[in-house]
Amino acid sequence: MNDGGQLYTIEGVAAGLIMLLTAYMVVGATSMYTPGDAHISDMQLEVLGSDALMMMDTPPNSSFPSPLQQIIENDPVDGGRFRSMFMNYTNVSGYGPKHDIQFFASYTYEADATIMSAPINSSRNLTGGEHAVRATKWVTVNKRLPPGPFPPENRAVLVEVLLWRD
Amino acid sequence: MIDERGNLSIDFLIGFTVFMLAFIWVASMVSGIMVGLQSSHIDYDAVAYRTGVILVEDPGWPASPPWEFYGDDQKYEISRFGLAMSKNTPGILSQDKVNRFFCSSFIYPDDYHSRAIFGDYPYHFNISVLDGESVKGQSAGDVLPDGYGYIRRLVKIKEGSNATIGTALINKFHLNNTENVTTHDFSVLIDNTKLQGNMRNPVYQIDTVREQIIINITDLRSTIKEFNPDIDHPLGIDRDTSIITLQSIAVKKLEGGVLSTVRSYDRPYIDGKSTVTAPPCGVNDNVSLIINPRVFDIMQSGYAKIYINYTFTVLPDSTFLNNTNARAQPFDYNYFKENVTQPRLRDAVVEVAVW
Repeated sequence: MNDGGQLYTIEGVAAGLIMLLTAYMVVGATSMYTPGDAHISDMQLEVLGSDALMMMDTPPNSSFPSPLQQIIENDPVDGGRFRSMFMNYTNVSGYGPKHDIQFFASYTYEADATIMSAPINSSRNLTGGEHAVRATKWVTVNKRLPPGPFPPENRAVLVEVLLWRD
Repeated sequence: MIDERGNLSIDFLIGFTVFMLAFIWVASMVSGIMVGLQSSHIDYDAVAYRTGVILVEDPGWPASPPWEFYGDDQKYEISRFGLAMSKNTPGILSQDKVNRFFCSSFIYPDDYHSRAIFGDYPYHFNISVLDGESVKGQSAGDVLPDGYGYIRRLVKIKEGSNATIGTALINKFHLNNTENVTTHDFSVLIDNTKLQGNMRNPVYQIDTVREQIIINITDLRSTIKEFNPDIDHPLGIDRDTSIITLQSIAVKKLEGGVLSTVRSYDRPYIDGKSTVTAPPCGVNDNVSLIINPRVFDIMQSGYAKIYINYTFTVLPDSTFLNNTNARAQPFDYNYFKENVTQPRLRDAVVEVAVW
C-alpha cells in the first residue's frame, strides 16, 4: 500500500498541542508589566506625599501654627516629629494595602542671595539607586535662617520630600 | 484489484480534525488577546484617581445651596458628588457632605456611579472614609477583590460650629430676667457680616450658608427662681413642677435698619429626642436647633444679621431664660470659643478602589 502524502494521527495531535501551547504563551505574555505602567505608582506616591505635606501644614484650628511650621521653626529642626508624622500619614493610615514607603526630607530657602538647603529628616540614606518621586510645599516660617545675620522674620521656605518604595 | 489512489486514510482525517479544532480555538481567542493589551489595571487606577480627585477637591453640584442638604425626594437634582468644602479648599472636607454621601438613601451602585465614578463601563467600586481620630470608617460599595485600582487621599474633615447655652453662659451673660412673668423671649444673634469678615480663612470660618449650625439651650429649669408659698405666691414656685411651653421660634432679619420676621422655624429637637417637634410644645429642660444652610440661603442672608427668637411661656409666672430685659443682649453666635465651639479640622483618609 502506498502511504505517500498522508498525515498520521500523532502528527496532527502534536501540531494541535503546539498551537495550544503557543496560544497560551501569547495570552499570558500580554499581561506583563510594561514600563508605561510605572507612572501609575509614581503618581500614587506623589499624590500621597503632597497630601501628607498639606496635612502637616494645616493646623486643626485657627489658634495654632501648623505642625510643619512648628517643626521648621524649632531650632534645631524637629526632625523626629516630622518623621513620625510623615511616616504615620504615608504608611499606616487607611484601610487599603500598607506600604513600606521611605523618604528623605529637606527644606530650601534663599539667604544673602544664596540658595541654601538644610535636611529635616530621613527614613533611609539615599544611595542613588532609588526610584524616587518628589513632593514639595511652600511653608511660611518665622525663623532666623543662616548664614544671614538677620533677626527672625516671616520667610517662605520650600519643604521638599523624596519618596520611594522599598 | 481495487485502485486506492485518491482515497483519504482514517489517520489523516483524525489528524486533520484535531488540527482544525485547535486552529478554530486559537482563532477565536485572537480578539481576547487584545483585551490584555488594554491593561485594565491602568484603567482602574486612573478611574480611582479621577474619582478621588472629584471627591476630595470638588464641592459637588449643586454648590449653593449645597447638594448635601437636598432631601431624598430631591436627590435626582444632585448631578455630582464632591466632599470638599469649596473649590478653593481642596483636601478640606465638609462633615455634612461626608455624612450625606454615606446616607442610606443613596443606593450602590447606581446613585454613586452616575455622580462620582462616571463613564459607561459598569465598574465595581468601594469608597471609604476613615476618621483618623475615632478610627471609625464609613464606606459604600462592594467587598474588595484581590486585584483593583486604588488611590488613597489624606484629608481633613471640617467639623461645624455649635453653641451650648447652659447654666454657665446663662449666668455669665445674665440671660434670665428677674421678674415673674408668663411670656419670655430669648434671642440668638447670627451676624453673618461679622462671621464672614472676622475670619478670612474659609477653612476656619463659620459659614452659615454652607454649613449647618447647632444651637443647644440646656438647663432651662435652672433659670426659674424658686419661692416658698407666701402672701404674694400662695402656691410658691417650684421649678420642678413649672410647666414650660415653647410657643414659637421666629427667624428675623435686620435689613436697612428694619427688623422683620422672615419665617417661623418649626424643627426644634426637644429634650434630646431624635425627631423634631413643631411648636407649640412642652419642654422639660432643653431645646436644640440644627439649622440647615438652606434657611439662610433662601433668605439671602449671607451678609445679614439674623435673629433666632424663641418665645416660651412658663406657668406659674416666674423668672426664665429671657434677654429682652435691659440686662442682656441677644446671645451672639461668634468666634469667641468660650461661647461657641469653633469649627475644627481632624485627620481622615479617603480611599477609592475600582475593579
